[in-house]
Amino acid sequence: MVIVGLVLAQTSLWLFEVGLQRYLEAGLRNDSESLLVALVRGPQGLQLDERHLSPAYQRPFSGHYFRIDFADSHWRSRSLWDQDLPLLEHPGLHSNLQLGPDGQQLLVLRSDYRRLGQSISISVAQDYTPVRESFQRMRQIGLGLGLAGLLLILILQRLTVRRALKPLERAREQIAQLQQGQRSQLDDQVPVELEPLVAQINHLLAHTEDSLKRSRNALGNLGHALKTPLAVLLSLASSQKLDAHPELRRILKEQLEQVQQRLNRELNRARLSGDALPGALFDCDTELPGLLATLNMIHGEHLALSYVAPPGLQLPWDREDLLELLGNLLDNACKWADAEVRLSVIERTDGYALGVEDDGPGIPEEQRTQVFSRGTRLDEQTDGHGLGLGIVRDIVEAWGGLLVLGESEWGGLKVVIELPKR
Amino acid sequence: MRLLLVEDHVPLADELIAGLQRQGYAVDWLADGRDAVYQGSSEPYDLIILDLGLPGVPGLEVLAQWRAGGLSTPVLILTARDSWAERIEGLKAGADDYLTKPFHPEELHLRVQSLLRRSKGQANQPTLKAAGLHLDEGRQCVIRDGSEIQLTAAEFRLLRYFMLHPEQILSKTHLAEHLYDGETERDSNVLEVHVNHLRRKLGKAVIETRRGQGYLFGGQAS
Repeated sequence: MVIVGLVLAQTSLWLFEVGLQRYLEAGLRNDSESLLVALVRGPQGLQLDERHLSPAYQRPFSGHYFRIDFADSHWRSRSLWDQDLPLLEHPGLHSNLQLGPDGQQLLVLRSDYRRLGQSISISVAQDYTPVRESFQRMRQIGLGLGLAGLLLILILQRLTVRRALKPLERAREQIAQLQQGQRSQLDDQVPVELEPLVAQINHLLAHTEDSLKRSRNALGNLGHALKTPLAVLLSLASSQKLDAHPELRRILKEQLEQVQQRLNRELNRARLSGDALPGALFDCDTELPGLLATLNMIHGEHLALSYVAPPGLQLPWDREDLLELLGNLLDNACKWADAEVRLSVIERTDGYALGVEDDGPGIPEEQRTQVFSRGTRLDEQTDGHGLGLGIVRDIVEAWGGLLVLGESEWGGLKVVIELPKR
Repeated sequence: MRLLLVEDHVPLADELIAGLQRQGYAVDWLADGRDAVYQGSSEPYDLIILDLGLPGVPGLEVLAQWRAGGLSTPVLILTARDSWAERIEGLKAGADDYLTKPFHPEELHLRVQSLLRRSKGQANQPTLKAAGLHLDEGRQCVIRDGSEIQLTAAEFRLLRYFMLHPEQILSKTHLAEHLYDGETERDSNVLEVHVNHLRRKLGKAVIETRRGQGYLFGGQAS
């Protein structure tokens, strides 16, 4: 744009200058013709009729000059004073301005005539400097205005672009919220231009959620399909028909248990939604009482289950995954507790800490590492002291959290899970 | 004790029925959710074992309908769906316990036992205690003053029912309804015979006859 503007400005200036010169040339031709008229035959041959001359030719450095060349001599106007106006080589207008007296820039026109039997060449000159100066001034003003205009356009453009991109920025913020699970859809109140994009993203979200739900269901169905026959086999393995073959029964039970463990673990692992599912926050106040009531139902009313969480706290993870995590941890605690189990949820600046403690026997410090030892093969893990904890570990790992075993103030085990904020 | 088993997987149902009958329970079996909705609330069951994946009406829906109809029988949910979210849903629908497949039969028997005791207001103890008697449900025998008394299967069933309902007058019809499944022919004479056997083994005072009303267990013995 800048280049085009400059070229346009230069071209228009040049055209204007050419036009002006043409206009001035007409004036000069007029002057030279009136000089020709003023040439009269006098007593000593040709002479200039002073009365016909413009007074500007008399005043020194007035800006109007002439020079008349004859075959053997030449006359100069009085206004040239001591300067010489050189004879031009060719007739016609010369705008490549010659330096005249007083540093003036001149526009010279040479015209050749024949008069009274002599060839005469008349050069008329006009000072071009004032025109040129005003021309320069105009050019500067034009340049200044152009620059100012350009600046204005740039600012306006920036404003417009920013304004136009504002909805896009809002959409970006919403996508960030989406990732944190604070919303499940993008706001569709956007400018018309963005509507297709937002609709497409919403569509994609719905699709992801849908396919995740479907695969979860498919997994559940698979589990159901496998677990029921497994239950039949387990029941058969302990039936009286096998009383005569204790060895057979032992192997059968062992293998079935391995299948069961592997199935449970892999199903749970596959069901972990990880980061893929947006939405569905875990609301402590609504979910925890139900979870504790379920645990009480399973383990009996003699256990006092309680939780401590800031009121209204929402944890930014998938509800089902978090229920799975807390359910397994609390279930394990309930198995070992004498009378009390407590869950505490603490919000920190950079994350959350979930603590589960019981008043049971606890685990001696040197054995704690074994409970969660990494890299243990699945079939080496038993369902006793905290399996279900294998699932817990999978979930915590998927969320990039940390699992710490410690001692409760009641002397039992305290499991603390530190999860980074998302 | 009469149980209703709602399970659509026939081999598993066969296994469970056989196991539960060995434990001295009378078991009725249904495979369809629609039948379960009706029969569960019309027959006097002591406990219901309910599978969640049922044809007709899904298990949770069946349970919700029972509870909405005011049925208070304890319900044990049996399911392959073992996530905590689903357990909580089951509880909200009104289940009393939750067992996930696959399971050991003993686990199911223990859960049934403790659920029955809990629903009859008995504390969760290894043996059932009433009127100075301890009933060992695992070995199906009764212990009085440290000495063990063997019982036949029928006697065990009858005594367990009495011990879960101490100091209550139980009519013969009531006993027959709760000791036999829907297919067995109920003969009140057989019941009298078993009551007499129990009296012979445990002493006359243990079971009192209230003429025209029924039997009373543990009325004055303790």
